[in-house]
Amino acid sequence: MKLQTTAPKLRLQNVSKQFIAPRTGQLTTAVTAVDLEIQSGEFVCVVGPSGCGKSTVLNLIAGLDTPTSGSIEANGQSIRRPGADRGVMFQDYALMPWQTVYDNIGFGLRYGTPGEGLTPTERETRIRHFVDLVGLNGAEKKYPHQLSGGMRQRVALARLLANGPDILLMDEPLGALDAQTRLILQVELLRIWGETAPQSQRKTAIFITHDIEEAVFLADRVVVMSTHPGRVKAVIPVDLPRPRSEHTRAEPRFGELAEQIWALIRDEAYRAIGGLGAAPQATNEAVA
Amino acid sequence: MSTMSLPVAPVRRLRRAWLMQITLVPLVLLGVWEVWAVLAGDSHAPAPTRVIESFIELVAQGGLIGATVESLGRVVSGFAVALVLGVVLGILMGSNRWVRNLLDPIVESFRPVAPMALLPLAILWLGAGTPAAVSIVAYAAFFPLLINTVHGVSRVDRKLVLAARTMGVPRWRILTKVVLPASLPAVLLGSRLAMGVAWTAIVAAELGVGAKSGGGGSGGIGAMMFVFYAYNVDLNAIVVCMIVVGVVALLIDRLFRFAEHRLMPWRT
Amino acid sequence: MAITVNNVQQHAADRGARAIGAFTARAVPPAGSEAVAAPTAQAATALLRRLAATRTVTALCAFALFVGLWYGVSAWINNRILVPSPTQVATALVQLGASGELFTHALVSTSRLGMSLIASLVLAVPLGFAMGMNEKLNAYLDPVVELLRPISGIAWIPIGLFIFGVGDTLPVFIMVYVAFFPLLLNTIAGVRNVDRKLIDAARTMGVRRTPMLLHVVVPAALPTIMVGFRLAFAGAWSAIIAAELIGAPSGLGFAIEWYRELLMSPKMFAFIVLIGIVGYVCDLLLRALQRVLTPWAEGTGLA
Repeated sequence: MKLQTTAPKLRLQNVSKQFIAPRTGQLTTAVTAVDLEIQSGEFVCVVGPSGCGKSTVLNLIAGLDTPTSGSIEANGQSIRRPGADRGVMFQDYALMPWQTVYDNIGFGLRYGTPGEGLTPTERETRIRHFVDLVGLNGAEKKYPHQLSGGMRQRVALARLLANGPDILLMDEPLGALDAQTRLILQVELLRIWGETAPQSQRKTAIFITHDIEEAVFLADRVVVMSTHPGRVKAVIPVDLPRPRSEHTRAEPRFGELAEQIWALIRDEAYRAIGGLGAAPQATNEAVA
Repeated sequence: MSTMSLPVAPVRRLRRAWLMQITLVPLVLLGVWEVWAVLAGDSHAPAPTRVIESFIELVAQGGLIGATVESLGRVVSGFAVALVLGVVLGILMGSNRWVRNLLDPIVESFRPVAPMALLPLAILWLGAGTPAAVSIVAYAAFFPLLINTVHGVSRVDRKLVLAARTMGVPRWRILTKVVLPASLPAVLLGSRLAMGVAWTAIVAAELGVGAKSGGGGSGGIGAMMFVFYAYNVDLNAIVVCMIVVGVVALLIDRLFRFAEHRLMPWRT
Repeated sequence: MAITVNNVQQHAADRGARAIGAFTARAVPPAGSEAVAAPTAQAATALLRRLAATRTVTALCAFALFVGLWYGVSAWINNRILVPSPTQVATALVQLGASGELFTHALVSTSRLGMSLIASLVLAVPLGFAMGMNEKLNAYLDPVVELLRPISGIAWIPIGLFIFGVGDTLPVFIMVYVAFFPLLLNTIAGVRNVDRKLIDAARTMGVRRTPMLLHVVVPAALPTIMVGFRLAFAGAWSAIIAAELIGAPSGLGFAIEWYRELLMSPKMFAFIVLIGIVGYVCDLLLRALQRVLTPWAEGTGLA
């Protein structure tokens, strides 16, 4: 499916981020020279070995951190601080432990900017809609510590969507779940994101993951990053048809794309685990 | 990731600023105190400078060091008793659920009874002197040691024990080679807490004994404080004693932390 | 069932038990004859065994043993002043209760405790929040805190006596001092240890400073603050006895010493027992408060 190209929703130009260690004063470059353009309604996955700066990039887009150099713009406006227009879903959910499912989903609506101008009834309707959307009916009064990992993740997703953000930023949201739950939630996530709707009606989504197959399954494009220093190595378009399903994984094109991406990361991944010697040479070198 | 270091001079400047931050408020407070004391006119009012004078005098002639050593001696005796009782009982209770269920209610009932509440009883039984003070210290030190030992022994990862058994290690050896080393961090933590409590307890006990025996010859730093309150009124000397109490408490704590660090390098 | 590391012991025990059972089993009885008698006898023993295993029963047994031992020792020493018997102490308790003296002293001590805890809450918690959130303030004030902290509250008694004299104020002053530090330090720790992710999450929802403080920082820090409060209580309860013993005209600590001087041991013992009871009850109340205020912290290792 050809992606429409208009003015990009999100634009990163020559972004780099350096950290100064507080005591020793040592300078560390997390990412360098990142150039990305992301269209409205796109689902982009970011993969790469540990330490390649995936989370750093996400934090920069979210506004939780500012770039050392370069610029980041959303809707043509430069990003300086966090805001409800760029909602974030964290790896360990970041749910308020002292609030029920219902209150957690409505947190931004009650205390943050998304809720401004809403009457309590409107707020309630909205929260109920998203409780229903993620399938948590009946669990509204439970506390996070009473929920399974998959349920907590759905609460986090509902909260993210209830705040009505323009851009969805997801930092390894399925990372803490077991493999089976993950497969189920991947399909759910696409459904909720609005896979079947036309691109102009979909939200822009940026999804960070370690799992290459997950990335290929979910994305319109996959951004492959490498480390030392962190930078974008390649951007691979995923031309698999939507809506994606279990059968998608069986298609030969799926395997080709996954292999292609793995080939880009393979050497660094081996080095990252302490070098077991050189990575074995693939017999069919995939062409990037 | 690529790394680079900042030049040395800014780092040194940071450290100097940090030093200034740390000492500023205490120095200001000491200064205010000094000024207040001078203005108050009474040459006996406690002031930092007078406290320092008093300290020198007490060390040289007043037997300050002797009293401190005496108190420490009592603490060590009491602690030793509590250590043996607490660790042995702790191992028993930590490893055997029946023993634990039996003794736990009794231990928990005694815990809210503050050590000082038993001081009159100790004086009644042992007279107003060293034995009473040492017994209060032992009582005070017992609980942290017991509770932490039980905690440590009962939390020993069952899998470690099972692993040893699958290697054919006999039961008693498991106790010495697996359970005890695994519970050592907890015992050391309990020891550190117990020593802290013990030091507070000895000061309190000596203060109490001193108050009740008419400032008699029980010695120790607590008694010394009482003497300077009730008989040989010297507020500056009292402040000196208070500072000594604080310094010794700090030293004991640091010493035990150092021991913990040395004996258990696998604990971060 | 599958054998895993966790149940390998149980599995072995089961097999062992079954093996022994097979070895000692009697011949199979004729059908029907013993079948009726067996269930009721079995049910009764099972019930007894369940009861015996409950904590309350073992606790009662433990106390019975303790009291029995006490009785034995008091009878053996046979000195009413040194070791009064449990019955004498119990009688003394009843007498003191009837005359109201029990309650007067207990009330005096607990009201002092209450006042001190409230005072130290008011002092320590706001300061703790300020220091926890403002790194600079913390850097400046921390040295003072760390210098004063090792000086135990007890060491302040002589100076306190000098300033306040024997009376109500001394115990309160000492208790406020003792309770202050655990509360302050735990509040600072609680504020600092607020999960960074929660704050980030709130920031990405556009939550501003005041709602952030009220609805994120305070609830997140609350469990640690509660722990500090319980520590503060324990320290204060211990300190009040010492303070009252030495420098107060009333209260539980005073009462113990008073009756010792009068050599009226049963009453002295009665007050010691009372101190234990009051302390225990207060701790129960605090635990209940903790459960009510911070129900989500159970079992997370924070409480």
